[in-house]
Amino acid sequence: MIQKIQSLWPEIVLFATACVVMVVGISPSVAVRRSCGVIAGLGLALAGLVAIDWPGPASSVVWPALAPYVKVLVAGVGVLLLLVLAGLPDREYEAAVAHGQRYDPIRANRAEFYAFFLFSIMGVMLVSGAEDLIWLFLALELTSLPTYIMVAISSSRNRSLEAGVKYFFLGALGAALFLYGFALLYGATGSTNLETIRQVIAQQRLGSEAVNGVALAGALLAVIGVGFKIAAVPMHFYTADVYQGAASPVTAFLAFVPKTAGFVALILLLTTIGWGYGPSGQSLPEPIRTVLWVIAAMTMTVGNVLAVVQSSVKRVLAYSSIAHSGYMLVGLVAGPGPAGAPFARNGIAAILFYLLCYGVMNLGAFAVMASLERRSRSGATEEADSIDDLRGLCTTRPMLGWIMVVSAVGLLGMPPLLGFFGKLPLFTSGIGAGEIPLVVVLGINSAIAAYYYLRLAALALLEDPDVTPVGGGLSENAPPGRKFAGFICAAAVIGLSALAWPLINLADGAAKYEPRLTPGSAVSAREAPIVPSADALTEPRAASGRP
Amino acid sequence: MSAILAQADYPALMSAPTLFHYLVVSAFMFGLGLVGFLTRRNLIIMFLCTELMFQAAGLALVAFSRFHLNHTGETFVIFVLTVAAAEAAMALALVVLLFRRKETLDAERWEEMRG
Repeated sequence: MIQKIQSLWPEIVLFATACVVMVVGISPSVAVRRSCGVIAGLGLALAGLVAIDWPGPASSVVWPALAPYVKVLVAGVGVLLLLVLAGLPDREYEAAVAHGQRYDPIRANRAEFYAFFLFSIMGVMLVSGAEDLIWLFLALELTSLPTYIMVAISSSRNRSLEAGVKYFFLGALGAALFLYGFALLYGATGSTNLETIRQVIAQQRLGSEAVNGVALAGALLAVIGVGFKIAAVPMHFYTADVYQGAASPVTAFLAFVPKTAGFVALILLLTTIGWGYGPSGQSLPEPIRTVLWVIAAMTMTVGNVLAVVQSSVKRVLAYSSIAHSGYMLVGLVAGPGPAGAPFARNGIAAILFYLLCYGVMNLGAFAVMASLERRSRSGATEEADSIDDLRGLCTTRPMLGWIMVVSAVGLLGMPPLLGFFGKLPLFTSGIGAGEIPLVVVLGINSAIAAYYYLRLAALALLEDPDVTPVGGGLSENAPPGRKFAGFICAAAVIGLSALAWPLINLADGAAKYEPRLTPGSAVSAREAPIVPSADALTEPRAASGRP
Repeated sequence: MSAILAQADYPALMSAPTLFHYLVVSAFMFGLGLVGFLTRRNLIIMFLCTELMFQAAGLALVAFSRFHLNHTGETFVIFVLTVAAAEAAMALALVVLLFRRKETLDAERWEEMRG
C-alpha cells in the first residue's frame, strides 16, 4: 500500500500544481496571472523528475517498468506541449483587458485551461500505473474529460465549440463501450484486479484450451472503446473535424496525450488475455488477433488514403495521426514475444519507443502551424491552415520552414531521422511474430504516406513563396515559445536518432514482460471466483459451484 | 382475472430472476442506447443514449457482483455513477453553449468543417 502511494508521487505533484494554478490563474494582477504557465511547467518538470526516482515495482505486476517510462515520457513531451500551449488561453480577452476593459475572472479561461492540461497528463500517468479495472476506467476518463473542455475553449470561434461537442459525444460513446467491456471482463473472472483477471483466464484455459467467451467479448468491446482514444478505425470519425476545429496547440496535445493513454491501456488490457495462443504460442487468441489485425490494417489505410486528398495541413496531420495509430497497432498484434525476447521481436517495446518518436515529430509539425497566423481580408487573424500557407516557408521564414521539413521527413520515416528508428522495430516485431501480410500492409502504407509528407516538405523547401496571397499575408505574432518548442522538436528528430540505442534500451526495459502463473498464491483454489459458463447463466450460483 | 393469474404456475424460467435475465435486460439497454446514438440527431437525445449505455454497464456490474458474491462490481458502479454525473454536467454545459450560438440542437446543423 505504502509502495503504491510512493509510486504516485508524480501524480500528487501534478495535482497540487493544478490546484495552485487554478487559484493563481484568476488573480486580478496580470503579472500573477501570467505566471500560471510557468508554475504548470515547473510542476510538470518536477513530476517527471520524481517519476525517474521510481521506488521499485509492486510484486504482482506483469510490466514492472512500464509506469515510470510512460510517466517520464508524458512529463517530458508535456513540457514541450506546454511551451506550445502557452499564450493560447484568453488571448483575445487579455487584449481587451489591456485596452481598459475590467477584468472579470468568470469570463477568463486561463486557470481552467492550465489545470485541465495538468489533470489530463495526470490521467495518463494514472493509466500507466493501473492495477485494477476501476482504476483504469477512472484514469481513462480523467485523461479524456479535460480534453473536451480544452478543445471547446481553445478559441472563440464556433468551430472550436463544434469540435468540442463532437469530441465529447464520441468520447462518451467510446467510454460506454469500454465500460461495458470492463463489466464483462469482471463478470467472466469475478475480479477487477488486472493481475487476478490474468491468472483466472490463464487457469480457465488450462482446463478447456479455449478462452472464456464472456471474457473475449469483454476484451473486444474494451479494445474498440479504447480505440476512440487512439483514433483507431471504427472510432476514428471525429479525428479530422476535431483536429481542425481545435486551435493548433490543443490539436498537438490531442494527438499525443490521449493516444499515449489509449495505447498503455490497450497494453494493460490485452495483458489480461495474454499473448500465449496460436501455433507459436506467442499471439493473442484468434478472435482478438483477427479483430486487431483488421483494425490495424484499416486504420493505417484509411488514415493514409484520406490524408492524400486533404488541402488543410491540420487535416493532413489528423489523418496521419490515424495512420500512425495503425502502425503502432502492428506492435500490439505482434506482442512481446517469448520471455527474454530481443528488442527487435518485442512489439510492446516498439510501441513505447514509437510513442516517443511520434510525440516529438508530430509536435514539431504542429508547432509550426501554431506559430503562423493569417490576416484575413476582414482584418481578423486566424490560424494558417491551408497547405498553400507553407509555400516557400524555408525562404521567407527559414527556421519555421526547416522545422516543418525535418518534422515531415521524420514522420515519413526517412533513414537517418528518428522516425526511421521508431518504425523499424514495428516491422521487425511483426516479422518476428510471423505477421507477414500485416507487415506488407505496413510497408505499402509507409509508401503512400511518403506522398503527402514529401508534399509538405517540398512546398516549404522547393516552391517559391506566394507573392500575391489570398487575403492578407502570413504573420508571426504567436508567442515565441512555440517556435522554441518546434526548434527543440526538430533538433530532437535529428539528434535523438544518434541517441536511438540508449532510448531503445529504455523502451526495451520498460516493456519487460514477466507473466507468471502462480496457482495458489494470487488466486487460491478456495477463493477462485466462479466463472459463469453458458449453463450456469440460468442458475443461481449455489447450483453451479466448481469443485 | 388478476387473482387467477397470480395463482397460476409461472414457467420455470420465469420463477426467479437469474443472472441471465439481468444480462439480457442489460444487453438490451446497451443495444438500445447504441442504436439511438447512431440514428438520432438531437444532441440531448444522443446524450441520453450514452447515459443509457452507461447504466446498462452498471446493471451488468451489479448483477455480476451478486453472482460472484463479492462487492467489487457494486463498488465499480458507485464510481461509474460519479463519472456519469460529471459527464452529464459537461454535456449540459456544452449543449447550452451551442444553443446560445445557434438556436438549434440538431447535430446536422453543425457542419462547419468538411473534408
